[in-house]
Amino acid sequence: MHKGAGKPAEKGGVVFTVQDSRDGAGTGPTSCSKDIPVHPVSRRSKPIFTGSAGEYFRIWIVNTFLTILTAGLYAPWAKVRERRFFYQHTVMDGRPFDYTAPPVAILKGYLIVAGGIILYYIAKAYNPLYSLLVFGIFSLVLPFLIYKSLRFFARHSVYRNIPFHFRGTVRESYKTYLLYPLLIPLTFGLIIPYWAFQRKKYFFGNIAFGTTANIFEGSARPFYKLYGMVAVAVIVITIFVTIIFTLSAPLIVGTGMKAGTFNTAMIFFIFTVYFIMLVVSAFIQQYIYAWTTNYCWGHSALGTIRFHGTLRGGHLFWIRITNIFAIIFSIGLLIPWAKVRRIRYIIGNLTVISDEGLDNFTADVSPDESAYGDAATDFFDIDIGL
Amino acid sequence: MIEFKGAYFDGKISRAYPVSVVFDGRRLHIRGVDGDYPALDIAPEDCAITPPLGNTMRYIKLPGGAQCETADTEAVSALEHLTGRNAGMRLVHFMEKRWKTAAAALAGLVLCVWVFVTYGIPFVAQKIAYSVPPELTEQMSRQAIKMLDRRFLKPSELDREKSRELQGEFRRLYREIDGDFDYRLEFRKSPYIGPNAFALPSGLIIMTDELVKLAADNRELQAILVHEIAHVKKRHALRSIIQNSGVFLLVSALAGDVTSITSTAASLPTLLAQSGYSRKFETEADRAAAVYMIRKGWGTRPLQAILLRITRNMAGYPGESLLSSHPLTDQRVRYLRDIEASMPAPQGSGGIK
Repeated sequence: MHKGAGKPAEKGGVVFTVQDSRDGAGTGPTSCSKDIPVHPVSRRSKPIFTGSAGEYFRIWIVNTFLTILTAGLYAPWAKVRERRFFYQHTVMDGRPFDYTAPPVAILKGYLIVAGGIILYYIAKAYNPLYSLLVFGIFSLVLPFLIYKSLRFFARHSVYRNIPFHFRGTVRESYKTYLLYPLLIPLTFGLIIPYWAFQRKKYFFGNIAFGTTANIFEGSARPFYKLYGMVAVAVIVITIFVTIIFTLSAPLIVGTGMKAGTFNTAMIFFIFTVYFIMLVVSAFIQQYIYAWTTNYCWGHSALGTIRFHGTLRGGHLFWIRITNIFAIIFSIGLLIPWAKVRRIRYIIGNLTVISDEGLDNFTADVSPDESAYGDAATDFFDIDIGL
Repeated sequence: MIEFKGAYFDGKISRAYPVSVVFDGRRLHIRGVDGDYPALDIAPEDCAITPPLGNTMRYIKLPGGAQCETADTEAVSALEHLTGRNAGMRLVHFMEKRWKTAAAALAGLVLCVWVFVTYGIPFVAQKIAYSVPPELTEQMSRQAIKMLDRRFLKPSELDREKSRELQGEFRRLYREIDGDFDYRLEFRKSPYIGPNAFALPSGLIIMTDELVKLAADNRELQAILVHEIAHVKKRHALRSIIQNSGVFLLVSALAGDVTSITSTAASLPTLLAQSGYSRKFETEADRAAAVYMIRKGWGTRPLQAILLRITRNMAGYPGESLLSSHPLTDQRVRYLRDIEASMPAPQGSGGIK
């Protein structure tokens, strides 16, 4: 059980970790022990992450060991355990999420993907042209795989014993993951922000919790603004760095040559450029991630539930950079700590705003359920960052 | 008798019903705390219990899609134990719960990685390399030489007589050592690579004009050729490709889905292991060449001489380190001398074992 929250599950009550409540009067932060909770108007609650780095380290090291020991066959079980750790420690409204994917289904997916990769390498060894062919086939199949994996992912994400559903179509997936990427060169890259928007729309516009579909009200315009800003920033930084190095390069190389350590100076030079590139791209990545996540949550409505994201790119960047150093200097042993730290920050910056509480969502048991719940399609589990 | 409190979810609506659960040895009795709903008596065989994980909540999946959720992990563990569920995952959980077993897993992991890198991967790579069909190695080598010709190599400018002479000696060597492969010797000029020779998996051996010019006599070149024939015969090129992919796979499995920057850092141990493999193959080929030459009564001196000359010839040769693919030349020369000292020089035909 998570720290400091007592054992709300046993009471069947609703424990809100309340940040502030819009209409204080009488309702406020509440923990009720009845199965029918009082419904304050617009409660703001924050999901909390209750896992600790130490707990995750032990799970991670044991499962990694078993994966290596079994030459990878245990990997799906390890994956499900790690996923479950993160899901079950994400507690919203006093209740944890659950991840219910059967490892055997993931194993099948792994074996098929592994077969594809081996095929690719053999084809490449015979003739690089064949590998292009395999790559082409892969691009044709990829949208279908993404569609399948999103359905798989949604169906096995469960909250209060109600599974999520992904309602997107194969057609939309081909448009999003094949058509738009093909248009990038034709539009000189101008479609990239629109593509980013469509990818988010494919997920946020099609995810449903039980019978309640998420309504995504985002538009492409803010994505153009974001990517435009990023493009300008990249150009400015590139010009700035180029000027600095053109000014200082003869100095570095000159002194290096004189001292007979040409190689060292060059290596230092290349390393610095490389380092700057890494830092800049990490910052941009985190900034885009923070903005996009906040935007998509902010423009989603799950029934009467609204969301509010308060992630900051700068903070995520700081976490990423310090995580990298921690991982390198601990020869990988701090990977679990780094992951927990990042997840805790992300989850701690989402706010759930609900009018009626979370008690009245119903499971999707409509007749077309079989089309969604076909166990035979539990084939692929490809990670697509959310 | 096992008793615990929890919440019941019927799987139809997201509402939690507080319940008390009693297991009397035969059935689970689930009763609503605040009313009549739910009231269930279920045989434990009809339920599934999700495996324990850290200190997270436990779930009992009931028939019909409902479930009971509880934070009372001890009670559920007892129930699990009584009904003999999740034996495998309970063991995993046992290891995950304690620092001691986690430390043991870490030690086991390090040991596994060491065994894989030193024995497992080379063993599997050897098996695969020996079962690769010749057409595939032929194709691969054709691709490789095409690429090398485009980037680093120029047509040979060796005079025809010299090359015919070396071809004759090469033919005698490979027929005596290994008749299985379709060995070929070709010459290229390459200011970029300098004096060097290398073998492709199909049996094609490339020697640079620079090396031919550097050699004091044909015997030195024969020594190099025997070294390269050994590479081909033992399928070192293929094996090293497979081994390197194996190490790459292993390292990515260990590092998991971490960022690109950390994977850059992870490439260092990968490189270390790979250069270790490569040096091992070089030593093996050196040994094969030495044994052949000693049997022939030539001694290892020609090989030592040409190796030293190659090293000296490389202008601004960067100091060799842990990461270099060939062992230090001094070490190689010492190794050759050691073999010669430990072996009598019999007469007769040589062969590579």
